[in-house]
Amino acid sequence: MSILEKLPDKIRAQMSDEPLFSAKTDLRNNGHFGEQWITFTEREILLWETDGLQYFNLKVEDLKEARAVNGVGGGTLLVDTKKGPVVVARYTAALSSVFGFAAKLLTAIAKDEERPMASEKEFPRYCPTCENPLSEGSQVCPICKNNGKVIARMLKYAKPYKLQMIAAGFLLIFTTLVELIPPYLTKVMIDDVLQPKNMGSTLLMVVIGLGATALVMSVMQTVRGLIGVWVGSKLMGDLRKDIYSSLMRLSLAFFDRRQTSQFIGRVNSDSEAMRQFMTDGVIWVSGESLRVIAIFIIMFGLDWKLTLFALLPMPFMVVVSMKLWPKIGRRWYQQWRSIFRLNVLVGDSLQGVRVVKAFGQEATEMSRYAEANREVVRHNIRIEGLWQGMFPLFSFIAGLGTLLIWYFGGQSVLREELQLGTLMALIAYLTMLFGPLQWVSQMINWASNALSAADRVFEIMDTPSEVPDVRDPVPIGVIEGHVRFDKVTYGYEKHHPVIKDINLQVKAGEMIGLVGHSGAGKSTFINMICRFYDTDEGSISIDGVDLRRISQSDLRKQIGVVLQETFLFDGTIAENIAYSKPDATPEDIMRAAKIANAHDFIVRLPDGYDTRVGERGHRLSGGEKQRVSIARAIIHDPRILILDEATASVDTETERQIQEAITRLVKGRTTFAIAHRLSTLRNADRLVVLERGKIVEVGTHEELLAKEGAYHKLVEAQQELSKIKGVEG
Amino acid sequence: MNDTYDIHMLEPERVMFSRGQGGVFQGVINGKPYEELVVFRAFPFLYTTQYISIRDAKGDELGIIRDIAQLDEESLREIERELQFRYFLPRVTKVGSVKQKSDLWLWELQTNLGPTRMAMRNLHEHMQFPSGNRIILTDINGKRCEIADWQSLDSHSRTQLTDVI
Repeated sequence: MSILEKLPDKIRAQMSDEPLFSAKTDLRNNGHFGEQWITFTEREILLWETDGLQYFNLKVEDLKEARAVNGVGGGTLLVDTKKGPVVVARYTAALSSVFGFAAKLLTAIAKDEERPMASEKEFPRYCPTCENPLSEGSQVCPICKNNGKVIARMLKYAKPYKLQMIAAGFLLIFTTLVELIPPYLTKVMIDDVLQPKNMGSTLLMVVIGLGATALVMSVMQTVRGLIGVWVGSKLMGDLRKDIYSSLMRLSLAFFDRRQTSQFIGRVNSDSEAMRQFMTDGVIWVSGESLRVIAIFIIMFGLDWKLTLFALLPMPFMVVVSMKLWPKIGRRWYQQWRSIFRLNVLVGDSLQGVRVVKAFGQEATEMSRYAEANREVVRHNIRIEGLWQGMFPLFSFIAGLGTLLIWYFGGQSVLREELQLGTLMALIAYLTMLFGPLQWVSQMINWASNALSAADRVFEIMDTPSEVPDVRDPVPIGVIEGHVRFDKVTYGYEKHHPVIKDINLQVKAGEMIGLVGHSGAGKSTFINMICRFYDTDEGSISIDGVDLRRISQSDLRKQIGVVLQETFLFDGTIAENIAYSKPDATPEDIMRAAKIANAHDFIVRLPDGYDTRVGERGHRLSGGEKQRVSIARAIIHDPRILILDEATASVDTETERQIQEAITRLVKGRTTFAIAHRLSTLRNADRLVVLERGKIVEVGTHEELLAKEGAYHKLVEAQQELSKIKGVEG
Repeated sequence: MNDTYDIHMLEPERVMFSRGQGGVFQGVINGKPYEELVVFRAFPFLYTTQYISIRDAKGDELGIIRDIAQLDEESLREIERELQFRYFLPRVTKVGSVKQKSDLWLWELQTNLGPTRMAMRNLHEHMQFPSGNRIILTDINGKRCEIADWQSLDSHSRTQLTDVI
């Protein structure tokens, strides 16, 4: 990708030097929407109107530095000159990455440093045909791709059950045909038996015929229903599995930005909507269309002129359906959104139920719920109401056709041009048409519900992981544990870097303590080692291999974490300890627990290692949970260990026990530890002091104290805070 | 001296803002000149012209202005402009159309800062309803627009909105 957007010829013609950079802004200098062009060469920065008029210029020699100052929803490219700061261009958030790069490039030009290289990530990409933004990592424009593909993709899930579906289809065709027999038999009864008063064997035969068709129909419906249920459940299982595995594949960054409770609804209800469409929907459509065709063929055979009357309302119904289709889709989505908000609300307040109770806010929560609930009810009425109103309208209009047949057919019968039985049969068949007509609206309902569900589901499946695995990863085997940070910069939102330009070499087996105020970037630092996120700039390597070239499963095998929030899964203590190594023997588990100082308290529990923990089970204290999670890390036997505030919020005795456990755990492993209490880092070989995302000091505790810098201040502040427990501890 | 743990409210008469030659927002605060100042709304949704945090180029807070209406005329004009630059939130004056094309929602909008279009992957993550009839729209790239009161838009716009709100 070049760093040049195609300059309009009018501008290019006026420039003598080859531009180093050119880009279109999407805001004018006064902050209104509009376009201007910015270009710069080794000598000057120029801003142009699109018609080639020069708006502004600045000599590079006056330049000290350039900055992209990002506001909210937009930003400004500022340059510092000898005469003070100058605004060069303004842009909306869509272009922040482009101008972030422009600022870097300008600064490099001004300071005559090495020019930065633009990566593809820096530029938003647009579809060449419709100019709408493309999603990252995908080449297909969502707009230029059509709805048919979504359906096709959905139907792919039905593929493994082809045979069953075909069988169901055949049964359906057969039932449909059988269903058409009774009206015909009625005609025979009226014309050949009742009217001629011909009391013979025919009556019995006809009645037997009616009975037989009824029996056959019910048997086949049962079989078909069973197949439907079977295929449907299997399908839904597959879908749910796929959605869930896509969720697990996604990177942490995806979840950071979303409330997790929403996904429960997605996994369940969206897959249900898709399932409904695929099994009931597809079978219905094919079955009912078949029925409509068959009915019309028979009706035409009986009396084609009268049948034409039945067709009259059809065009109108088709037009109305087409008109209503998008509206219904949107209302379904509205309805879904209101339920979604309700779910999020419930999820949130239940997760935080302790806080709710502690502050006595049950009533507020209830009223918040009531409001969201009212919305759901309102949307429910809107969508259901729409379709409840549509069906009677459709039946009424279709009924008009029946009236015409009654009138003209009746006349023909009176004139004895038509047999009464035929008329009765025609009317009966026409009534049977109402069923399929009902599906027109029902089907619109299902299909649009399913399509919007499918959109949401495929959105998850198509979201590329932000930390993709490389195609042929480097096998790392058992690593030694050298870690190297090389000019690492990362921000959860690009252009708001949380850690900046980090350079650090860590020897195998070294213990590094990360120190700094909260928000200094300590947690981000360790998240980078785990590769929960990829660096925006620079690289991290382990034993000389770039993290991005190691497969994630290999990497995670080498890294163990003991996090601030100890999360124990629903299961026994033993299962939790053996989480990363399911084949661990009971002995392994006990050994790990022993090292973690957890063995004694576990054995004392009435259920020992089989004690259920997690959401519903036995409640362990904070310190106990900590030690279980340390045991979990021990059994994992990682080469690189990450400890995040492992001893926060426990009493002194527990802390001592955990401290002991940690000392045993870190032996021989490269360790990164974060602690607010500086005393817990006294075993660290080196301390790294972070401030606003940058490393400000590195050294041993003594070195840093002697330096009387940032670390010294932190230590002093803490000693003041707790005179009882100084760093010297 | 000021307590560092207290919010420092700026006296309107001790604050003056202007625009530098380079178009950068600057000013004199408590007698000290600053060649670059940054404004932050403490409550961007609730109070757009009140509780404005004034910070220096490094981001350290110099103080908070309770209400910019108390400032002198030039200062008021410049801080208003600066707020508009920093909080780029065009106000929608008319909703041309809201269309769903496969999995993108496309909005054609007229705003007080000119016409624009927005593309959203979905509505539930890109529409916010902070209070009352106010709607904040955010598109895929983070561009934002505001509908101050959707009920008071013209009837065409309201029709476009009925099925998405």
